[in-house]
Amino acid sequence: MYEFVTGPLAWLAFIVFFVGIVVKLVLYIRGLDWKLDRVTYSVNTSYGVRGALRSIGFWLMPYGTQSYRNNPGFTLALFVMHIGLILTPIFLLGHNILLAERWGVSLPSLPEGATDVLTVCVIAAALVLLLRRIALPEVRIITTAYDVLLLAIAVAPFVSGLLAHYAHDNGQLWTIVHVLCGEVFLVAIPLTKLSHFVLFFATRAQLGMDYGIKRGGMKSKGIAW
Amino acid sequence: MFKKLLFATTASPVCDNAAKVAFDLEVKWEAKLLILHVMGVPGRAFSLQFTDVRTGQREDISPDYVEWVKEEMNNTYGKLLEDSNAEIVTAIGDPYREILRLARKEDVDMIIMGAHSREEDIGATKHRSVTGSTMRKVAKAARCAVVVVNRPCTTCWRLFSNIVVGTDFSKASFSAFLWAFKLAREVGAKLHIFHSIDITAEGLTLPAGQTTIEQRVKEARRRIEQTYIPKLQGYDKYSMEVWEGIPYVEILKFARDRQADLIVMAHHTREIDPEEAELGSTVEQVVLRAACPVASVTHPDKVADLV
Amino acid sequence: MPEGVLCNKNKVNTLEQLQALLADKSGKQYYQEMNNLDVDSKALWDLVQKTCKSRTRTWLEICTHCGLCAESCFYYLSNHRDPTQVPSYKIQSTLGEIVRRKGKVDNAFMQMAMDTAFSKCTCCTRCGVYCPMGIDMGVMFSYLRGLLFSQGFTPWEMKIGTGMHRIYRAQMDVTTEDWVETCSWMAEENADEWPGLEIPVDKENADILYTVNAREPKHYPEDIAQAAILFHVAGENWTVPSEGWEETSLAMFAGDWEACKMQVEGVYGAMAKLKPKRMVVTECGHAYRATVIEGPYWAGRTSGKPPVDSFHYVEWVAEALRSGKLKIDPAKKIKEPVTYQDSCNYIRNAGLWDSARYIMSQIAEDFREMTPSREHNFCCGGGGGLNGIGRYREQRNIGLKVKRDQILATGAKLVVAPCHNCWDAIRDLEEVYEIGIRWSFLKPLLINMIEVPAGMRGEE
Repeated sequence: MYEFVTGPLAWLAFIVFFVGIVVKLVLYIRGLDWKLDRVTYSVNTSYGVRGALRSIGFWLMPYGTQSYRNNPGFTLALFVMHIGLILTPIFLLGHNILLAERWGVSLPSLPEGATDVLTVCVIAAALVLLLRRIALPEVRIITTAYDVLLLAIAVAPFVSGLLAHYAHDNGQLWTIVHVLCGEVFLVAIPLTKLSHFVLFFATRAQLGMDYGIKRGGMKSKGIAW
Repeated sequence: MFKKLLFATTASPVCDNAAKVAFDLEVKWEAKLLILHVMGVPGRAFSLQFTDVRTGQREDISPDYVEWVKEEMNNTYGKLLEDSNAEIVTAIGDPYREILRLARKEDVDMIIMGAHSREEDIGATKHRSVTGSTMRKVAKAARCAVVVVNRPCTTCWRLFSNIVVGTDFSKASFSAFLWAFKLAREVGAKLHIFHSIDITAEGLTLPAGQTTIEQRVKEARRRIEQTYIPKLQGYDKYSMEVWEGIPYVEILKFARDRQADLIVMAHHTREIDPEEAELGSTVEQVVLRAACPVASVTHPDKVADLV
Repeated sequence: MPEGVLCNKNKVNTLEQLQALLADKSGKQYYQEMNNLDVDSKALWDLVQKTCKSRTRTWLEICTHCGLCAESCFYYLSNHRDPTQVPSYKIQSTLGEIVRRKGKVDNAFMQMAMDTAFSKCTCCTRCGVYCPMGIDMGVMFSYLRGLLFSQGFTPWEMKIGTGMHRIYRAQMDVTTEDWVETCSWMAEENADEWPGLEIPVDKENADILYTVNAREPKHYPEDIAQAAILFHVAGENWTVPSEGWEETSLAMFAGDWEACKMQVEGVYGAMAKLKPKRMVVTECGHAYRATVIEGPYWAGRTSGKPPVDSFHYVEWVAEALRSGKLKIDPAKKIKEPVTYQDSCNYIRNAGLWDSARYIMSQIAEDFREMTPSREHNFCCGGGGGLNGIGRYREQRNIGLKVKRDQILATGAKLVVAPCHNCWDAIRDLEEVYEIGIRWSFLKPLLINMIEVPAGMRGEE
């Protein structure tokens, strides 16, 4: 079972993930229409690129935008969760050991203590975001079961990972659960709105180009996000 | 002399005296009379709503409403309309602007209106956030004579025997003079040419100013003799007078003295920033206090033949 | 398929249709007919498939429902943080549903969507600046209005407005003759005070082609006169076109895309015919947006630009002040506290905040910024056509509260609002809430402030 989920199933998950996000991105870009979107993507592109980079850059920076600064708590949870979501699986020692075993290559690893902290932080941040969804009326009204499910999908590998690491079950049950959760997560990324994994960059770039090319980017220093 | 007349009314009692003059003129001069009622100031943005000038209610522009207003006008001026062929016109807009627009479009010879007080212009003031009365703005920009009737006019226009024209020697005043002369000649009235040395404006209030004032009076008389009298082309029913004081007070005193049937003057463009003058321009002051109608003539268009 | 006499899917292309609509007081019959108007789901879905491509679909799909847009919306704030005013909710429950249901929506839904699009959103696009995903809900609402319009669901005034544009190429019934006549009228009216003042019509190869908002010739032509005086004093070689003089676009507010195109092509036609060096538009926000920012796309111009360089009035004023073409008499600067209303359409959506700041630094001694300001400023409350729609008057008045509080917080009693819609909304705001403020365009302020070269102003 372990071999299967970390073997063919993992391959499948990674293929769906990588192919999926590429397809998503390609479809997005192909679906752009300068006339309908009212942005000349290919004219004055330099202004567009500048706008896109500003748009992405400011929004990747913690507290880099007015919106973030207005909501410090949310922003903290948001960045903690996303940093954890990305760093932990890539730089986790266990993952890299596995990688080295299978392919003989591996990435540098973070100390186990650090990844543990990150994991706990991700779970805590997710909890905060979940509570926020329930507590704030303006968020509750737009929250759907789907949103909660996606949050669960994103956090499940972390919860199961912790259990796998610390539960000491010899039957590898938690490990298998963990791997499955991770694979579900990977597959969910291109297939659900977790696709914002790539589409965040796409939509941000698009709006940045819109502002950069059309909405004043050529007549000002650029919008102060 | 008057082929086309425009009577601008708010269809309120303020305009009743003006209405009588307007209908009287129509009949006596066999003129075409247009009665303009500016129903309201424009409503919101491009919308079709406007604020009714009389009720203050927000109304929608619709043919029904226009018909209703016309009906109301017919009721208001029922008796007067009996002998009249007047045409009732309605408009939406700032009253002064619409009056000027129609006057220009129809090339009218005279605009007749009541002494719209500033209170009544509040709607318009709100609309454009500008101060100043409809009357003053119309008087300033109209190319024809603007006759403002505040009190009941007892003498029929045709029977006018004394017309007072006040001048400050401005270009506009000269037009007012020519128009007054034209009218006096037409009806056979006596023309009283009047100038007041403005002691407030010229800093002549000091006792030492007495000789200066006398000097000024002499100068003014000479100016009238040299530039105005020759234009009368031998018409001898005239008098001339130069006094000193605050112009609007003096002209009112003079008009009373001569039992004036009509005071003619120009809208004084010289006055400093009339938009901000608390009490309004000289014309406004005279209008509010005069016992007879006041005609404001500022532009030479309608006296071009005499220039 | 029941179609009303007045409320239907047809476009208003004839004077008869327009007059029939105008005769329907307050749109009573129009809205009654709307209750029976059928939704052509197939046509609606076809249109969505043709026009709703990856940008908009992705916006709808990847909204993470984080709710950060809530506080960006002045409707949300002025309605006691009513969750149904959250931009994401508003767009998801309208446009989002149309797409999810593949156009299979009913009359009640369409009316709800119309109510939402015209009474809960001014398309100010502020939410787009606050969304981490870069989802511009204002742009989507604008698009939704287009879908609604195609099915005949648009407010009565909007239907009339589009008819005006289709018939007169202007938002109001101002004909070419009316316009040209108004220009000569205004030149004449001010000739005594400003000897040599001209409003040249259809002069070729001028430096500036000046275009306006139809409300100016219709209701306050002195605005045109003031523009003429300022150009005159600045020594500009300028002209107005006899046709294509109107820059505004109620069609843009209504979502009548066809009429949007017709309207801007008229203006571009004037540019092609008169070959000016550049174009300047009056103090109107949406006019600039419609003709300069969005217009080129409606007209299919691949450059994304109008045929000649186009400027908003504040850009011209800033330039004239910088270059010394217009000089401010220091003694006549505004002494009292004064604030500036940043119009969404030429500030947030066109980046002209620095021009506005420069002007204020030159004409005011005590300029006070609103908080927030510039690209973050709130809509006046009257954008997107909301000033003129009777049906949603009440909602709009509630929306004005945010601007009211912003102005009050500055302590200024004078608001400079170089945008017709903002100017109107602030006027209404004063009427509704009576906070004791005055408001003004730039032109009348400038005329009282500039140094006039000797001999230029008439003596009498």
